[in-house]
Amino acid sequence: MQKPAQLKIVNRFGVTRLLPLGKPVFTIGRKAENDLQLLSDSVSRQHAEIIYEEDAWYLVDIGSKRGTFVNDQRVERYALQHLDHIRIGGDEDQQITFLDDSVERASAIFDSAPRLTLTPPLPGRERVTSANEELQKLARFVEVNQAFKFSMTPDDVLCLIVDAAIEITQAERGFLMLRNAAGDLEFKVARDHNRSWLEGADFAMSRSVVEEAFKQNRSVIINDSSEAAAHFARESIRNLDLRSIACIPLRRFQMTENMDATTILKRDVIGVLYVDSHVIGGTISQTSIRLLESLAFEATKSLESVRLMHEEQEKKQIEQELGMARQVQVALSPTAFKVPDHFEIAAHNIPSRYVGGDFYDFIPLKDDRSAFVLGDVSGKGMAAALLAAMAQGALQAQFTSNLPLAEVVASLNKVLVQRSASNRFITLFCATLDPEGHFTYINAGHNLPILARTTGETETLTTKSVLLGAFDFVEYKPRQTRLAPGDVVVMYTDGVTEAVNADNQMFGDERLEELVKQSVSLSAEEIKLRILDDVLSFTAGLPQGDDITLIVLKVK
Amino acid sequence: MEIQIRTSGSVTILDLNGNLIIGRSEESLREAVKKLIDEERRFLLINLSDVPTIDSSGIGAMIKSFTSVKEANGKLKVMKPSRMARQLLSITGLLSVLETYEDETSAVSSF
Repeated sequence: MQKPAQLKIVNRFGVTRLLPLGKPVFTIGRKAENDLQLLSDSVSRQHAEIIYEEDAWYLVDIGSKRGTFVNDQRVERYALQHLDHIRIGGDEDQQITFLDDSVERASAIFDSAPRLTLTPPLPGRERVTSANEELQKLARFVEVNQAFKFSMTPDDVLCLIVDAAIEITQAERGFLMLRNAAGDLEFKVARDHNRSWLEGADFAMSRSVVEEAFKQNRSVIINDSSEAAAHFARESIRNLDLRSIACIPLRRFQMTENMDATTILKRDVIGVLYVDSHVIGGTISQTSIRLLESLAFEATKSLESVRLMHEEQEKKQIEQELGMARQVQVALSPTAFKVPDHFEIAAHNIPSRYVGGDFYDFIPLKDDRSAFVLGDVSGKGMAAALLAAMAQGALQAQFTSNLPLAEVVASLNKVLVQRSASNRFITLFCATLDPEGHFTYINAGHNLPILARTTGETETLTTKSVLLGAFDFVEYKPRQTRLAPGDVVVMYTDGVTEAVNADNQMFGDERLEELVKQSVSLSAEEIKLRILDDVLSFTAGLPQGDDITLIVLKVK
Repeated sequence: MEIQIRTSGSVTILDLNGNLIIGRSEESLREAVKKLIDEERRFLLINLSDVPTIDSSGIGAMIKSFTSVKEANGKLKVMKPSRMARQLLSITGLLSVLETYEDETSAVSSF
């Protein structure tokens, strides 16, 4: 049987992968079919192999151009030793280390289904030693976990952390809570000492201890005998009859080189790790506390790295779609539209990094009437861009065949309900204008356009209709208003009002409405530029998550 | 997001707690509703009082749930949306379809 061994590969972002050497011949090179593919130019297409012969793993150079190195010595054929450092050609991007698992004695945790095996509780001092080992196992586990990045979710990792915390402190229960978008703590994991999930959404626990740890950003440890108990005694501890509690803040972790615990940004607490116990004598030792704090550190670290990896994967997929989606979007800009004499129109679209599903169109109708369309497909990427193209095409065809507005919208809705995935919707504002200023519109779940009159009044345009693609039984009833010369209608997508600045504040509806009100005497083009200027100076160059689309209509 | 299920007369109340957004929370709402329909429960009331944020996937889950309950000849209504949730339901026009109530008593007695 082969001796178990693996390669540990750390890339320049500090992300660690472990590749087990399971085959008789393990290949390394620049081509994709290699077991380890390295993309550096200094790596040959088929560069080197690791083969198993006579109870040893050999690194063999298979005629590479730039050579193969072990501990900075060029080698042709070399019997690998535990912790040897391998360099392939001139590739410095990846740090490759050979790990002989018979030395590491760690192969046990490298199962196909990774699972942390913790030893049964031991009394007294032995427990501390055992906990130390457990922590090492855990640290190792986290490393292994990164190799399994796509099969482990952050939740799995958190669950393991809580189990280990219960184990270390000999507590009865453990919880992990994370801060949600509203800034409140939310239960993520609730486990008992048998490693079972606790049922429910809320649990009787010492709120004041949790608050203290979370708000003051410090570990709170309460033992039956400790003085701290008196400090908190007024509430739940006594009521709940809890004997010992430990609560450790989880702090935001920043990826930096040579990172260690001191690089944590102390002010940013993202959650807490909490364990408690009713049992007398379940005193939590100083060692346990230090271990808990290391665990909390591991928790945030693995959360962050799992999150980064998922993001990286998503980003790749999105970027592939991006090229195609952009082409679709370019094709979506309104076709040559000859603006009639009775109004001015100006429009602009700033696509976001991810290409959203905004679309707009102006369509000439019979009798000098014109139609205006502004829509936003939920979701991003190729699917959203294609659905936007489809919707725009359908609207064009129906308007051109002179159907009334209500029918145009209703038939698009029917098609969407039947054809599109259950989570794709379109919010749409759609209107027609005739030379007398009759402005007929339907607002199907879209942000409310602003009508600013020369008299200084403003109103928002709604028909309270449901967004498209949701229900086939709803009716779309238009409303009508009369626009006087000089009146302005500003249509926009949520990318405008939800544009955010570095302080995470939104541009907002009120701000837009006020701006339109003040700009009513300007031309359509000037109003458009003024709004865009204001949005762009508000965001100060911060990349936006959503498309920004704006149409300004002004009656002459 | 957590979903607690309780009954009040013939009405089944789903107390949602957490954000109704893309991923697990949106799936769990759809699954919970599907299960209730399978159990022949036809009058569902979703309590949104502890749902701070809803995104387009969450809206999707609500629409999907509404449609499946309707197809099973039942009714799905909503109560106590937070300010943000109400604004979203209002802009998307869903308030015109999803009956929405401010308190439990009137919501339950409306079925």
